[in-house]
Formats: sequence, structure tokens, C-alpha cells
Amino acid sequence: MPPDFDTSMKFKFSILALLLEVIVIVLFGIFVDYDSNLSANLYPHFQDVHVMIFVGFGFLMTFLKKYGFSSVGFNMLIAAFGLQWGILMQGFWHMERGKISVNIESMINADFSTATALISFGALLGKTSPIQMLILTLLEITMFACNEHLVTKVFKATDVGASMTIHAFGAYFGLAAALVLYRPGLTNKHENDESTYHSDMFAMIGTLFLWLFWPSFNSAIAEARVTAIINTYYSLAACTIVTFALSSLVDKRGKFSMVLIQNATLAGGVAVGTCADLEIHPFSAMFIGVIAGIVSVLGFQFLTPVMASKCRIQDTCGVHNLHGLPGILGGIAGIVVTAIKTETRNGHVLTPAMQAAALGSTLAIAIVGGALTGAILKIPFLGQVSDQNCFDDSAYWEVPEEETVHEIHSSHRDEHSRFEAAM
Amino acid sequence: MVIFGFGFFLMVLRRYGFSSTGFNFLLVVLGVQFSVLAEDLFVFLTGKQSQVGLESLAKALVSMTAVVISTGAILGKANPVQLIVMTLVELIFFYVSRWINRKFLEVPEHLSAMHVFLFGAYFGLALASRFPEAPPGLDKNRSTPKSELFSVLGTVFVWVFWPSFNSILAGSEKMKTVLSTYLALAVSAVAAFMLSALTSKDGKFRMADIRSAVLAGGVTVSYTAELIKHPWIAMILGLLGSVIAILGSHCVQRCFNPALKLQDTSGVHFTFGLPAVLGAVAAVVLKVVARGTETQWNELSRLGYDAFVNIGAFCQTISTALVTGLVTGLILNIKLLKAVHVSKYFDDQSYWEFPHLSVGF
Repeated sequence: MPPDFDTSMKFKFSILALLLEVIVIVLFGIFVDYDSNLSANLYPHFQDVHVMIFVGFGFLMTFLKKYGFSSVGFNMLIAAFGLQWGILMQGFWHMERGKISVNIESMINADFSTATALISFGALLGKTSPIQMLILTLLEITMFACNEHLVTKVFKATDVGASMTIHAFGAYFGLAAALVLYRPGLTNKHENDESTYHSDMFAMIGTLFLWLFWPSFNSAIAEARVTAIINTYYSLAACTIVTFALSSLVDKRGKFSMVLIQNATLAGGVAVGTCADLEIHPFSAMFIGVIAGIVSVLGFQFLTPVMASKCRIQDTCGVHNLHGLPGILGGIAGIVVTAIKTETRNGHVLTPAMQAAALGSTLAIAIVGGALTGAILKIPFLGQVSDQNCFDDSAYWEVPEEETVHEIHSSHRDEHSRFEAAM
Repeated sequence: MVIFGFGFFLMVLRRYGFSSTGFNFLLVVLGVQFSVLAEDLFVFLTGKQSQVGLESLAKALVSMTAVVISTGAILGKANPVQLIVMTLVELIFFYVSRWINRKFLEVPEHLSAMHVFLFGAYFGLALASRFPEAPPGLDKNRSTPKSELFSVLGTVFVWVFWPSFNSILAGSEKMKTVLSTYLALAVSAVAAFMLSALTSKDGKFRMADIRSAVLAGGVTVSYTAELIKHPWIAMILGLLGSVIAILGSHCVQRCFNPALKLQDTSGVHFTFGLPAVLGAVAAVVLKVVARGTETQWNELSRLGYDAFVNIGAFCQTISTALVTGLVTGLILNIKLLKAVHVSKYFDDQSYWEFPHLSVGF
């Protein structure tokens, strides 16, 4: 095995992680303190977001047949590190007298910021080492905090459910990094880059949790909370129906595809994020959801294969279709809504120009930042896997051996279900 | 959270998934009812009016956690009847222990409830030592990727809801407790990955390590959450909790368990036991430091007394747990309860109907 494919995490990873953790603790010691009057109002929302980040995103990515441990495990690693770093980075923009005071809202925002890193992880799933992911998290959350500050404070644009700042940002950051980290050896589909019956079931757990808690995600930091919840709810419901319809339509034999059901059903929640708390009527929320579902399904079906072969972007989870395109759609919806109706937030009028500027800056920062990060991650001693070990847990985990009896059994089950399907 | 999280957390064994979740559910439901009763009985005996409310339900659930943790230690070795008896006996003993703590050692109510981890872990360990050891050739107590993944699902749930668990009984400082727990858990998750890579043979992560160590931070911080003045203290505690859990898992499994003939199925000793001890020590230190800075270190004798009482409280918990655990273990092995035969350990088949018995089994 050549040295740059040395996947042993023993010293490199531990030392990097320890170093980062010590730095974070020292910075917390210097800057962070508890807010003096903490209120419990937001706590239920925080819990919903927390479940989404750790259970939802983690299990959504378990669909690869041999990559379940890494999906959930690294998801937890990234999120746990990201939230500490997120508190610091977002706190630096809101410092008072040299101290960052933390409360429940900053916990929610920290969880949000990890979502960007997790989305990018989805694009790179199976092709990166934990060391690379730690570095990516560090850089991405730093850039995310700057961009968020730019969007909400300088442009004063609305992005309550963070379609642009989180979803589009995370997706395009991840895609740009994937472009730089392109692996020519994976052009023909890797044998482990597919799902099994059981792994799809696990991924469905993630989808369901994300779907259930998405209204909380979009409304957590909104002022017009009830409006945001209602809009997201309708959008998700409409999107799900359209996804099922289209999934059956685009398939040759008219069957549902689990990948589409897992991912495209969530696109409605992403797309409605920007204008969730605006007074758009339920019908327009549903309209946004429908469009998002269509875009997402068509993206999975036609765009992803083209991107992998022509644009040299290998997007494992299809984050472009789940987060990228619906995120942009959300940004456009925000522009349209502010152009048609006069909306005010915190005493200033939202203008389509500023919304457009927010969308543009998000995309630009994400793509440039992602490409730069990808270049840094290319440094050869970060424990990358070789091409044939991609999408395999055993590169980084001690995996218990599969029961042989079990395998016979599951292949039996597969045959059975295939038989049923053929009928 | 207790039902769902712990149920799946225990689902590590390859052929014991049904029993882990099923019995866990049964025990929690039964235990909550029983512990509300027991609580009321105690209140009644002292002559006060009892009130059933969300508060008492929450208390009941917290004390049930002790039972669930003990179940983890003897997972796969006891039959449902034994487990039910264990639940009832353990809850009574836990109440007695708490009552002693409150009455004689002046531990506040919600902190005495936080002794669940200590009590549960050591009770379970003592219990496990009274069960015959499984023959070494038995391979049913290993895991498969799928069962591990289910177990991770449980762990993640426990992890996510831990801040609520720690803060449910905390009085005025609820949100501060939440914040401290949140930070401690985040640090211990990162530390768990770091140490797991460092301690394993070829630098690979081990799911078992990660599962136990990510939770250790929450256990450690549970006693002290109220006393923590600054976030970084919570983070350091989380780090230490994780360190002690992983190192503990290595040392304990190698040296300690064979010597005492212990078999701790899901590793409750190092997941809950050791971090809880660390947490208790940290609580004493923090309390003494806080009191010390208040009084400018003038009343040293008063400080010593405080420390002594606190240490006394947790020694009392551990010793009660160990003694009563041993006694319960003896009771459970009476013939009447039909202990499971050693060769049938870790097998769902003794208690459950299988949908697909014809294949493979």
C-alpha cells in the first residue's frame, strides 16, 4: 500500500483532534460565558433541531451498503466538533465587551451551522477520511459564519429557514470540494456505491425524522413562528405527493425509487425556507413545494449522471438535488415574494435586490470556499482511502463480521422480494 | 427517551434484539408505576399529603434509569421473571439509598436522584457477579453490523436527549444545566473518536468504544451541572469523562473482569459507573472550590466537613448498591425463578416467536 493511502488514524487523527479540542476549550475559557438570564422558551425547538442534525442527517446517509458506521459515526464527529466551533465563530460577530454569552438560541444556531458541514459531507460521502472531514468542518463553518453575517446583517435579507445560507451554501461548498477531489478511478460505478434493502430502511429512518421535524427547523429562529410552521408543513406535504407521482412517472416500469422517496420528499422543506415566515398564502407554499419536488426528482434522474460524467463532480448523496437546487429555488422564491409584496422585518423593508445579492454572495462564497478547501484536502498525508477502498467501513472501523447465516437469509429475502416485484 | 434510547442502546447482541427492546419496554412501564407508588408510600409514611403530577412521573422515570442500566449488565442472562423481580427490588433499594442521602447527608432532592448512574451501574455489576459465566466458546454475544447500527440509533437518541434528562429535575438553573450538558457531550463525542483511534490496534475506530464514550460526558456532568460557573469547566469534564470511559474499557476488560469473574454484557461499568464516580469527585471539588472562594478559604474545618459529607453520600450509594446487588443476585438465582441455562444465554429464541424460524436458525 503506498504511503498516501495509509488509512491508519492512530496518531494523525488523534493529535489533530486533541489539538483542535484543546484550542476550542481554551477559546471557550477566554471568551464564552453563560448568558445571565436564560429562558426556556426555545428549548423544545432546540430539541427538534438537535434530533434532526444527529439522527436525521446521520441516518439519511446510511444508504450505502457498507458505509453505515462511517455515515452515522462521522456525522456525529463532525456535528459535535462543528457545534463547538460554530458557537465560537458565530459568537465572534456578536461579541459584547469581549465575551460571547451563550443561551438556547446560540445552541440552535450552532446546530444550524453544523448542518452546512453535514450537507457537504453528503457530497463527499465515502471518499474522505475523518481527518479531511475535521479540516473541512473547521474551514466551512468559519466561512459559513462570515457569509451568514453578510446576508443577515449587511444585506439585511430574510432567510429564516436558511434555504440559502445553509442548504445552498453547504451543497455548493461540498460540490466544489468534490470537483477538486475528483477521483478518475471511480468513473465506472464502484461496487459498494449502492444500497441494499436493509441500508435503505435505515436511511428511511433518517428521512422520516428529518421530515417530521422540518417545520421546527424552519421556524426555530423565526419571529412569526406559527406562519413558518404552517408554510413548511404544507410545502412538505405537497412535495411528498409530487415526488411519489414523478418517481413512478420517470421510472421505466413505473415503480417507485427509494432514493427519490428518501431525498426528494424533503426538498419542499428546503425550498420554502427563505420565505417561510412571510405572509405567503398556504397555496403558494404548496406551489413552492411542488416545484421543489419536480426539480429534485428531475435532478436525481437526469442531472446527477450528467454531472458525474461531464462535469467531473461525484455527488454521492445527491446533495445538489436535495439541498442545492431547492436552496436556489428558495432564494428565487424569496426574491419573487419580496418583489410582489412589501414585507418588513425589524423595521426595514425587504427588497428583491438585497435578496438577490444574498443569494449571489452565498453561491460565490460557497463555490470559491469549497474549491479552496478541496485543494487543501488534496494534501496527500491526510489519510485518504484508495479508490478501491472507497465506500467501505473497514478502512476506518473495526467491523464485526457479518453472520454467514444472516447473509444466506438476506439473499433469500432479496430473491423473495424480487420475485414479488416481478409479479 | 429512556424507553426508546436505552432499548436500542442495548440492542448490541446479534440474536438478542427482540429481548433487549421488548423487555426494556416492559420493565420501564412496570417500573414507573411501581416507583410512583413507592414514592407516595414514603411520603405517606412521613405523614405528608402526596401529589401525583408530572414532577413525580419525571422522578419515577429517572429512577427507572437505574434499573435499565443494571439490566445492561446482565443483558441476555436473565429471564423476564428475574428481570421483573430485579426491577421491584432495585427500585425499593434505590429509594432507601436516596432517603438515607437526603435525611442524614443533606443531599438536595434532585442531586440525590442523579445518583442513578452510580447506583444502577454498581448494582448491575454486583448482580452480574452472581450469575454463572457464559462458556467462552459461545459466540452469540458478539454483534453484527446491523445490530451495531441499531444500537447506534439508540445511543444517538440518548445523546440527543441527555440535556433534557439532566435538567428535568434541576430547579432554577434548568437552562444552564442544559447548556453545560450540551457542551460536555459535544466534547466527549470528539474525544471518543480521538481515543478510540489512539487505543485500537491499527488506528481504526471501534463502535463499542464510541458508543460508551460519547455518553460518558453526559454522565460525568450530571451531578455537577448546577455548580458549573463557566462553560469550559463543563467541556473539560466531558473530555475527562470520555478518557476515563475508554481507558476504563480497556483496563477493566483485560484485568478486572477475569479476576472477579464478572461479565458485564454491555459495558455499564465503564459507560456509567466510572464516569459517575468521576462526576461525583468533580462535584465535591467544585463545591469545595466554590465555597472556598466565597469564604476566602477561612473556614477550613467547615470546608472539610462539606467535602466529607459529599464523599460520604456517594460512598454510601456505591456500597448500598453493591451489597443490595449481591443480595438480589442471590435471590434471583433461586430455583423457583428458573434461571436460564448457560448455553441459552444471549438468545432471543427462548422467549419470542420468530417470523422466519425455518431459515438458518
